[in-house]
Amino acid sequence: MPGAEKHLRVTFLVAPAYLWLALTVFLPLAVMLFFSFLTAVPVGGREATLTLQHYVSFFTKKIYWYNALRSLELAAYVTLACVVLGYPVAVILTRMITGRAREAIFLMIILPFWTNALVRTFSWTMVLRGPFDIIFTYPAIVIGLVHAYLPYAVLTIYVSLQAIDERLIEAARALGASKRQAFMRVMLPLSLPGVLAGVFLIFIPVTGSFMEPRILGGKDAIMLGPIIESQFTATFNWPLGAALSFMMLAIILLMLALGYPLLQRHMER
Amino acid sequence: MRFLGLTYLGAILAFLYLPIAIMMLMAFNQSPLYELPFTFDLVWFKALAGNERLLTAGWNSVWIALVSSAIATSIGTVAALGLARNEFTGKRFLQLMLFPPITIPWLIIGTAMLIFFFWTGVGRGLHAILLGHVALSLPYVIVVVGARLATHGPELEEAAASLGARPAQAFFRVTVPLLAPGIVAAGMFAFAVSFDQFIISYFLAAPGTSTLPVEIFTAIRKGFTPEINAISSIVIIISMSLVLVVSRFYRFGGER
Amino acid sequence: MTTISVTSVSKSYGAFRALDDVSIEFRDGEFFGLLGPSGSGKTTLLRAIAGFVTPDRGRIAFDGEEVDRTPVHKRRIGMVFQSYALFPHLSVARNLAFGLEVRGDPKAETERRIEEYLALVRLAGLGGRKPRELSGGQQQRVALARALITGPRVLLLDEPLGALDRKLRQEMQVELRDIQRRTGITTIFVTHDQEEALTLSDRIAIINEGRIVQVGSPQEVYERPVSVFAAQFLGDANLFSGKATTGGLVLADGTMIRVSGQSAGLAVVRPEKVRIGRSAGAELNTLKGVVMQSVYSGASVIYRVAVPVLGETPFLAFVQNSSGELHAPGSEVTLAWDAAHTMAVAP
Repeated sequence: MPGAEKHLRVTFLVAPAYLWLALTVFLPLAVMLFFSFLTAVPVGGREATLTLQHYVSFFTKKIYWYNALRSLELAAYVTLACVVLGYPVAVILTRMITGRAREAIFLMIILPFWTNALVRTFSWTMVLRGPFDIIFTYPAIVIGLVHAYLPYAVLTIYVSLQAIDERLIEAARALGASKRQAFMRVMLPLSLPGVLAGVFLIFIPVTGSFMEPRILGGKDAIMLGPIIESQFTATFNWPLGAALSFMMLAIILLMLALGYPLLQRHMER
Repeated sequence: MRFLGLTYLGAILAFLYLPIAIMMLMAFNQSPLYELPFTFDLVWFKALAGNERLLTAGWNSVWIALVSSAIATSIGTVAALGLARNEFTGKRFLQLMLFPPITIPWLIIGTAMLIFFFWTGVGRGLHAILLGHVALSLPYVIVVVGARLATHGPELEEAAASLGARPAQAFFRVTVPLLAPGIVAAGMFAFAVSFDQFIISYFLAAPGTSTLPVEIFTAIRKGFTPEINAISSIVIIISMSLVLVVSRFYRFGGER
Repeated sequence: MTTISVTSVSKSYGAFRALDDVSIEFRDGEFFGLLGPSGSGKTTLLRAIAGFVTPDRGRIAFDGEEVDRTPVHKRRIGMVFQSYALFPHLSVARNLAFGLEVRGDPKAETERRIEEYLALVRLAGLGGRKPRELSGGQQQRVALARALITGPRVLLLDEPLGALDRKLRQEMQVELRDIQRRTGITTIFVTHDQEEALTLSDRIAIINEGRIVQVGSPQEVYERPVSVFAAQFLGDANLFSGKATTGGLVLADGTMIRVSGQSAGLAVVRPEKVRIGRSAGAELNTLKGVVMQSVYSGASVIYRVAVPVLGETPFLAFVQNSSGELHAPGSEVTLAWDAAHTMAVAP
């Protein structure tokens, strides 16, 4: 089939989906970026001029940059907890359980993850309110987020562990490595891609979370997520909200850019 | 060692299911303040039946999920077909484009949509929510169907052509039956993604009409009625059932 | 049946030339083997004939009719893929029926033919099974039956026996040849296995780097290779290079090697043509050397002999074990062979 005809066919097939994405995701992001440089929303005859004031205020007003750091800190705690708690689960699944039991338990772990996040968070208010009574505190937020994202960590680590050939571990043992050494030198490094994937998948959404902090932390839960959200629902300062959103995105990308080569080097060793 | 491991696993599973179990328990409990002792009562479910707001919101969630998953599955499958069987410049780029909608925090995407729709006059409301939900489901559909296509390679379609099948015949007799489980799984993913979606719906909802998660959120913020427990339990059961059905079509975990 | 002519076909992928000005005639009813190393272009050529690949230049014709504009599904070919490509969601019988159903054959006729072809490949009664329930050899036969049942003009086979173990392979080779003779269908098959090519084909083409190296009957190509590559790819060969003179060539140490035909300085002799003995007659080419290694395999012995003028490369001789005598490593021997078996080759 001549090249031109093929190109036409492919474009025709791919167009609807990607046009939809472009119009509902990429274009809006671009527009929001533009808005973040305006003084006000340019509708209803309002005047708007270009400005950097919103971005500047991110760095100058403590409430913004401080809480951005708090969000990052929260994300770090949650990610760490998820990986530390989730890694053993993945190991147990791959090394101790086989066959149908493994499938069934894996499904059980993933199941809550696919239910409504809001409802799950809400269900935590039941527990934390009642006997434990630690609702509306920082730990409550952490618990809620770890509960939500732990399956992510288990999933990615499990997938990479599964790909490791049993025989590699056996070979290491045959060469004289103790169980602990086999783990540290063979299993851990080979599973790092899975850990890395999990870290990214958890760190990013947690940084941007606002629902869990609001519900579990009460009105004292001030982090970047809720702050951005209130720009759109309470104070109606959309350009500021837009600028803060992009600052958050920038921070996330920065973390990614920093973390990735670090871990990649570690993997190559 | 094994005993330790299994105990740990049990503890983690308990952690994961504890709040859900308690919530469902309370939904059937007579006391409006989660006090024990536990007396079985369907009072909250009955109250739910009279709660117009929640019921309308629930109904909205369902039909939006149905429509958005239908749209996302059809255009997503078609796109996956276009991507899978052909090599062309820009393919890499298109594949990368699938990542942002799922990796960028939904807070940012939601606010961007809000701004854009407002500015272009699309406004807020159920139609806006529908637009957003389809966009979120698309990457999942494309990836799921694409993975299924990848496992077979172009050979089966080539074999069909070598046997004299016209492209349309090959598509309906070979490609579609093979894809069917993948398409169904993708469709259910899309439904689940839409049904459970809160953040985007929150930003795009017009005052007055919204989806179930948004309603639940408002109710929690305002002050609390145990009917929320009831409806939440129903939602959880629906979501879990969906996932269980999907897992029949699309194997997780067990096989590679 | 059908003749296929390929004329000056070229195909490039970016900078890589898969096919370079290839021309071949496939004769009516013959079993033709395309032989070559991986990446040589043999599969590309097959796929071009099938229609999955469109040549950049040249033409392909079935019975004189150009097929360049004819899409695959209209060419009336039968193809067996390396992985068999059986439809996993259809039973064996429905797999066979596929080609007949898509062109609208009447049902009764279709069912009759399914029975006929199942019997042909000795799978009668297995029509209800799904492909994954069959063994590799059985799947292969289903693929073959499916390709033949529509009565195609040509049968194309892409390394069809590659996945089978040795014994099964040999069985299938016999069956394949048998079926082809009975149906009389023009068959082109691709392989990298020289033994397979030799035993199955009426004619062979050796392909390398997108070009045809040599075409001919197995015997022609084996006994009279035209180039160094042909000589070394198909079977083993001892290579001589030296200065060309009348009747042969002269090696570096002055030894004259008599060559059949005109040599430009290169010649080969196949190891099985060589005899080892302590003396020899005058119409023969001879070389003296020391045995480096002898591999005894019962009916024959493989000798590696160090010959000074040939440098590092050992001289190979396959000798039939007719006397039970073995020349031990280290012993001095005289190698001798007929001048007529020394072929001049191009570089």
